[in-house]
Amino acid sequence: MTDSLPLPLVIRDLGFRYNSRTTPAIEDINLHLEPGQIVLLAGSSGCGKTTLMCCVNGLIPHTYQGYMQGEIELYGKSIKGMGLAEISKHVGTLLQDPERQILGTYVINEVCFGLESQGMPREEMIQKAEKALERLHITHLKDKETHYTSGGEKQKVALAGVLAMEPNILLLDEPLASLDPASAREALLAFRELADEGLSILLVEHRVEDVLEINPEKVIYMDNGRVVYQGDVKGLLETADYTRIKLPAQTVMRRAKGKPFEECCFAVPAFDPQSEPLVSFQDVCFRYKEDGPEVLHGINLDIRAGEVIAILGHNGSGKTTTVKQALGLLKPTSGQVLLEGVETRKTTVANVAKTIGYVFQSPSQMLFAPTVREELAFGPENLGMDKETVSQNVDWAIETVHLEHELPMPPLALSFGQQKRVSIASVLSMKSRILMMDEPTSGQDYWNYQSFMNTILQTPGFDAILFITHDLDLALTYANRVVVLYGGQVMADGSPYEVFADDEQLRQWRLLPTSLLKLNREMYAQTGQFLRAEALSQLAG
Amino acid sequence: MLVAWNYRYRNSLIDRIDPRARLIFSFAVLIAATSTWNSLLLAIIFMISILWYAAAKLSWKDTKRGWMMISILLFTMIVVNTIITGGGAGGVVPEGGQLVWPDGFNLFGRHLTFGLTVERLWFAVAQLMRILSISLVFIMIPYTMDSRAYGVTFRKLGLPDRLAYTMELSFRFIPTLARNFQVTLDAQRARGFELDSVKGGIFNKIKRIAPLIIPVTMNAIVSSEDIANAMDLRGFGQQKRTWLYELKYHWWDYAVIAFAVIMLGGVLFLAFGRGMRLFHVPQWWYGLFN
Repeated sequence: MTDSLPLPLVIRDLGFRYNSRTTPAIEDINLHLEPGQIVLLAGSSGCGKTTLMCCVNGLIPHTYQGYMQGEIELYGKSIKGMGLAEISKHVGTLLQDPERQILGTYVINEVCFGLESQGMPREEMIQKAEKALERLHITHLKDKETHYTSGGEKQKVALAGVLAMEPNILLLDEPLASLDPASAREALLAFRELADEGLSILLVEHRVEDVLEINPEKVIYMDNGRVVYQGDVKGLLETADYTRIKLPAQTVMRRAKGKPFEECCFAVPAFDPQSEPLVSFQDVCFRYKEDGPEVLHGINLDIRAGEVIAILGHNGSGKTTTVKQALGLLKPTSGQVLLEGVETRKTTVANVAKTIGYVFQSPSQMLFAPTVREELAFGPENLGMDKETVSQNVDWAIETVHLEHELPMPPLALSFGQQKRVSIASVLSMKSRILMMDEPTSGQDYWNYQSFMNTILQTPGFDAILFITHDLDLALTYANRVVVLYGGQVMADGSPYEVFADDEQLRQWRLLPTSLLKLNREMYAQTGQFLRAEALSQLAG
Repeated sequence: MLVAWNYRYRNSLIDRIDPRARLIFSFAVLIAATSTWNSLLLAIIFMISILWYAAAKLSWKDTKRGWMMISILLFTMIVVNTIITGGGAGGVVPEGGQLVWPDGFNLFGRHLTFGLTVERLWFAVAQLMRILSISLVFIMIPYTMDSRAYGVTFRKLGLPDRLAYTMELSFRFIPTLARNFQVTLDAQRARGFELDSVKGGIFNKIKRIAPLIIPVTMNAIVSSEDIANAMDLRGFGQQKRTWLYELKYHWWDYAVIAFAVIMLGGVLFLAFGRGMRLFHVPQWWYGLFN
């Protein structure tokens, strides 16, 4: 086959060990990409997916040095000795976070960046950029500032910047990570369209269930730096560990049958609708600048003891802005937020921190201490707790996130997933009565986030828990109340069963029904509540 | 690297001038203002800067923050350094001179003596004109220059591609840093950290602000790696670059450059050729204190 027409990408016996490590990050990788193929590369955190991508796009060995074995060929030509500029003509890479990849301040400048680097004449450059924008149906964004594009739009703009260089191979590194369900779906459809036009796509993603909808031609499952499975989707559904990557609910239900499974029990107190609200949003409106647009329009929300609330909404719907009002980090332009009856305008954030623990989205924005222990002690010390209490709280918090052995380590030396858990533990250690988390599961693989959510919810001491998420399944299995925000307004507020009742309505809010939701709805008469697929399989007998 | 930009088109005279001509003008003011202490020359430069600033049609609301920062700088340099301690005038203002209050003065019933001289007070005026002239022409840059124009402006002014793009990135890095600082401050405040409570000696203060400085610095390092990767992956710096943003000189741009060159040439000639470089106090100023 390769004799007549060389394949876009062939990888033979590839292995790589970073200079700073003693063990290889990847070993014995063999794979090839055909024109028009989408190959899904799945696996849990640290399985070597990103290293493999860096080997293909040339960042290894040009930027990251180490010991490399094996061969990578682009159209029959070894990439050894090729410069990054030459590789970039064949291989386009979309990094995980478009925010960190976009260089241009305007969409058209961003799309032209690679072409400018190639020294292309201006007219030709504009033509190619316009073609790329058209291919992704975002021509209307051409003259928009990149800062003002939505999360989904940013993703497409970054992709257009890659496509403008007309690569034959596209590497996509967890492109769905920061997108709301509808934007993720749109992105996936765009990838399928590109593959159908002849592009070869290597798609790294652990939202496997979502990717299956666009029928990838081949699936590769990696674990511990090695390819464990390579073949069609059907084979993956039987082989892959369903606790490690997210497979369709029906598959999990079938495979989990007869296997032991313990459903998570909430430790928050029983919900009493008559109790005084812990936090009360009353007609909260907010704008960032006096003359700027209003981003929250009359939010009314009471949070009571016993509630586990999931806040869902599209990118830019005002989820984080709303939660920051409860902490007093932002103050309403009109209306008020009461924390146990006291207006947040009349108290300090430090005072609020005694009641509300808030975990920010990105761990790197808060970790600073020389050791994990000191990092965890920072919050309780600020709140004036005595040494013994601080020490007890630190021990409890670190056990909750399963990182006991990392206590003497510098938090910044840990992996992203571990840093995320340390950042959560550093808020847990303050033993606040209300826990609020912004995208607690982002950047974590399926197994880690399930086990972490189980632990949090089984941990006694919280009166109420609130989390922001894009993951419908997370909301329906872990929350007893769901709030949907759309364009800065509360569109729905109720039990998961009530809020997720209508597929059409969900689509309008840019949320999409999942296989687990459908399964739960079918079995609701029997279960009376929404459960994980493993639990459903127990009930189904 | 995505932050809201302060620039917007205001349909001002400055908007119509090519960014290269604007930068040349700004640097001409900078060099002119720093090459003399002569109050007459500084006054002329100051007037030119005011007119230049007015031509940008910037509102107070837009630039308030920048001016606050400059006010702090001015206060430290002029009020504290020059007027109160006299330190900033060292080497420029000759020792001794005429005291403003030779017999001292009464304040809250107490008799005080204060060694402020008439010369030092005039020096403060000269210093004020110099710093304000420079501030006026530079503070307006982020508000009046299209974010797309930085790289190509520096390139066309003769800097190599890499350096020109580095300049563009560094201009954009400052607002990014400010945004990250705010996020980290919020995250730490949510952990009970209060910036106002940072007390004690210098070492204690540094230790106390570590929770802010370390994450912001680490983030800057990590994101610069991401940016470098994103640039590398799109072939940056491998060959001669073209720029999408176009710059075109008009006759008025040449006029601005000519004016800048003549102004700078004139100041340098008068300063170094006609003895107008050094500090001197005009006679009428003494008259005010007799």
